[in-house]
Amino acid sequence: MAVDITLLFRASVKTVKTRNKALGVAVGGGVDGSRDELFRRSPRPKGDFSSRAREVISHIGKLRDFLLEHRKDYINAYSHVMSEYGRMTDTERDQIDQDAQTFMRTCSEAIQQLRTQAHKEIYSQQVKEHRSAVLDFVEDYLKRVCKLYSEQRAIRVKRVVDKKRLSKLEPEPNTKARESTSSEKGSQHPSQESEEKPATEEYPEKVPAESQPELGTWGEGKGDDELSPEEIQMFEQENQRLIGEMNSLFDEVRQIEGRVVEISRLQEIFTEKVLQQEAEIDSIHQLVVGATENIKEGNEDIREAIKNNAGFRVWVLFFLVMCSFSLLFLDWYD
Amino acid sequence: AAAAASIRERQTVALKRMLNFNVPHVKNSTGEPVWKVLIYDRFGQDIISPLLSVKELRDMGITLHLLLHSDRDPIPDVPAVYFVMPTEENIDRMCQDLRNQLYESYYLNFISAISRSKLEDIANAALAASAVTQVAKVFDQYLNFITLEDDMFVLCNQNKELVSYRAINRPDITDTEMETVMDTIVDSLFCFFVTLGAVPIIRCSRGTAAEMVAVKLDKKLRENLRDARNSLFTGDTLGAGQFSFQRPLLVLVDRNIDLATPLHHTWTYQALVHDVLDFHLNRVNLEESSGVENSPAGARPKRKNKKSYDLTPVDKFWQKHKGSPFPEVAESVQQELESYRAQEDEVKRLKSIMGLEGEDEGAISMLSDNTAKLTSAVSSLPELLEKKRLIDLHTNVATAVLEHIKARKLDVYFEYEEKIMSKTTLDKSLLDIISDPDAGTPEDKMRLFLIYYISAQQAPSEADLEQYKKALTDAGCNLNPLQYIKQWKAFAKMASAPASYGNTTTKPMGLLSRVMNTGSQFVMEGVKNLVLKQQNLPVTRILDNLMEMKSNPETDDYRYFDPKMLRGNDSSVPRNKNPFQEAIVFVVGGGNYIEYQNLVDYIKGKQGKHILYGCSELFNATQFIKQLSQLGQ
Repeated sequence: MAVDITLLFRASVKTVKTRNKALGVAVGGGVDGSRDELFRRSPRPKGDFSSRAREVISHIGKLRDFLLEHRKDYINAYSHVMSEYGRMTDTERDQIDQDAQTFMRTCSEAIQQLRTQAHKEIYSQQVKEHRSAVLDFVEDYLKRVCKLYSEQRAIRVKRVVDKKRLSKLEPEPNTKARESTSSEKGSQHPSQESEEKPATEEYPEKVPAESQPELGTWGEGKGDDELSPEEIQMFEQENQRLIGEMNSLFDEVRQIEGRVVEISRLQEIFTEKVLQQEAEIDSIHQLVVGATENIKEGNEDIREAIKNNAGFRVWVLFFLVMCSFSLLFLDWYD
Repeated sequence: AAAAASIRERQTVALKRMLNFNVPHVKNSTGEPVWKVLIYDRFGQDIISPLLSVKELRDMGITLHLLLHSDRDPIPDVPAVYFVMPTEENIDRMCQDLRNQLYESYYLNFISAISRSKLEDIANAALAASAVTQVAKVFDQYLNFITLEDDMFVLCNQNKELVSYRAINRPDITDTEMETVMDTIVDSLFCFFVTLGAVPIIRCSRGTAAEMVAVKLDKKLRENLRDARNSLFTGDTLGAGQFSFQRPLLVLVDRNIDLATPLHHTWTYQALVHDVLDFHLNRVNLEESSGVENSPAGARPKRKNKKSYDLTPVDKFWQKHKGSPFPEVAESVQQELESYRAQEDEVKRLKSIMGLEGEDEGAISMLSDNTAKLTSAVSSLPELLEKKRLIDLHTNVATAVLEHIKARKLDVYFEYEEKIMSKTTLDKSLLDIISDPDAGTPEDKMRLFLIYYISAQQAPSEADLEQYKKALTDAGCNLNPLQYIKQWKAFAKMASAPASYGNTTTKPMGLLSRVMNTGSQFVMEGVKNLVLKQQNLPVTRILDNLMEMKSNPETDDYRYFDPKMLRGNDSSVPRNKNPFQEAIVFVVGGGNYIEYQNLVDYIKGKQGKHILYGCSELFNATQFIKQLSQLGQ
């Protein structure tokens, strides 16, 4: 177990002080020591870098506190049931999302700025390493806080999807009623082309008004037409068919929504990995470009060498031929 | 069993606390980052490196880690954590740092206790530099030992020569030098027990260096316990250990009781790696010669790349197989490789399914399954990659070991030595093996002969000895170690009968059909698959006797020390008649992995008992032979 000897240290500082005083040694302090220290420390370069980094950290801390504070309200599914104190409307949630995102963006920009600044300033190797490590820590902190935010958001989105799914399951009679109106509308179409336009105009108006009484008036309004029992049956059959179709469509849409959420999660993972690989791929690209250039130069050199070789051979041949001719000439001359 | 639970964990926790400004470390996922700089000396480096990787240091917020005696630039606004030994030069350098105002605040941690006068030196320098308030905390860490495994520790790596076998057994050693060596050993052992949080009962043999260590350690523990105000063994340091009625047993043995084991050729994975390759502080350095041996004429010779691997507790394969015999290791690597390939294929298959999916519109129902599968595949990718890395690592290491085995015919030596040590009949004469030019380096032959000499009941006749000497010199060996062993044997004969190694048999399992399947990289043709029968080395036997309170002429006259007793007595009668649950074996003069493995195997059979193994230095046979030859000159 470690033993804290800080107090022992302070005691030895005191002993040394008193000893020095007794000996009359001039220490760089004494009574003025403490004051001197204060003076000494303030003009010391406070390190612009670290104070800025600390600022960024405090900002991120504020964001984190803010998110944590409102987290409970944010993910509360039964907010419309609870009292107003804990309620949070969707608009407020959107507002929080917006704010959080802008905040995160500014923070990451600030970190980038610090990084470029740290690189530009020429300091020793150790200080550079230290600064880049510090910035890595800050980025990591930001990532962790962003994870908080994205978790919250994912929960919210999932809740919304679930809610939509549930809300589509429940009002069966409502949907049926809606279907009957639309089916009625649909069946009216082929019979009455002229009424198509006003019908379609009325349709968008009528759909939001899902209330039964309106339906009743509507139905009554159309009741002037004779609905023979066969037509009623036909309409009912069509209703059933359309209901079946709609249901299956809704099922599929539900499934697709779920899968889309999963796919988006996967996409996130993939983008993360791809971004990680980006740097490596860049470097590989550089290397490959360098390699192709080297090979090109190599080819050039080889071509030159071949040319030189050939040229050299030509000269040697020429020289030999000249020598033999000169020999012949000399021989003939003599 | 909490007291002996992983000395490694305790030391790691202590280190992490120190790095966290001496406040217990709590993992907080949304905590603000704090950054600091770590400064250590070589001792500190050796202690930290087997326990914390660079990534773990980063996680603790350390941006830079530097050696104390290197050039360091001032980094303003950063707290610095120092982890050094309180030696003169270190203190001077620290005072210099204070004067140069390199960092914002200083957290000083001394590996072992610092003396009052040195503390005053620092105080002086701090005053002179007006930096007293900057020195935030000063701690004595009591961590002066290196933990290599969960249950194995070594005293030091840096100044090995000071406490080596040679240093202790030199004929020309003076008393003061001996005192210094003993003090160093006792200091480390004391730190070890402080970290463990328990006061042991000490037993040691008489008349050896171990006895001197035991006396000093007992005195030191006693002094510390008496000093009620500052005792390190009270309060919340003990924790659960306070309530255990069992105190651990510390068995101090001297290397001289068993000189054959360090020379022995071995067959288990970890011990082989230590013997054959460059392995220390859990890091093995391999020199890889890549590719084809015969390079085309005119080409530049292939560069040998040096690779180094860390064998850590995270490496599950290593943890499982470090004590298994080598052929088993080879098989397991193959198995791991196959299972990895199967997993890889599954992931690839998934990819092809997804590719198919894009074309086939109708199979939308398969989509949801596949997204789930894909998510799980993607999340399991890092695991797969890690597994691949480990498999590669072990393949390389095992291949390197195998090459050595084949080149030096280590299996032959192993078998023969086992036979010698168990006194079964030898089928080949020793002279044949020594004169055989292919089998092994001169050092191997020397080792074999020394083992023969040590474990022979009576010394071979002069004529035989001359014959052997001639054969050895022909093979190129240096005969100095033999000189020393002769002296030692004469001395040991006077003291007690030479230790016997128990009866063992090795069963060669013929030519291995299992390992020699096609596609296997470990074609171990001609290498016998030897099965290790359980045997107890002398150290294990001694431990067994002492732990189980068995009566045995070997251990009956071991001295008994109990630092907690009010008055030390010289008796050898243990007060406690119950068998011990935890034991710590410490070998003064050096130890090795063979003994460690033997102890681990021994304790595996016993439920609920723990053993820790420690030695003053860890050497392999090569280093030991060197020391012996220096002694024999």
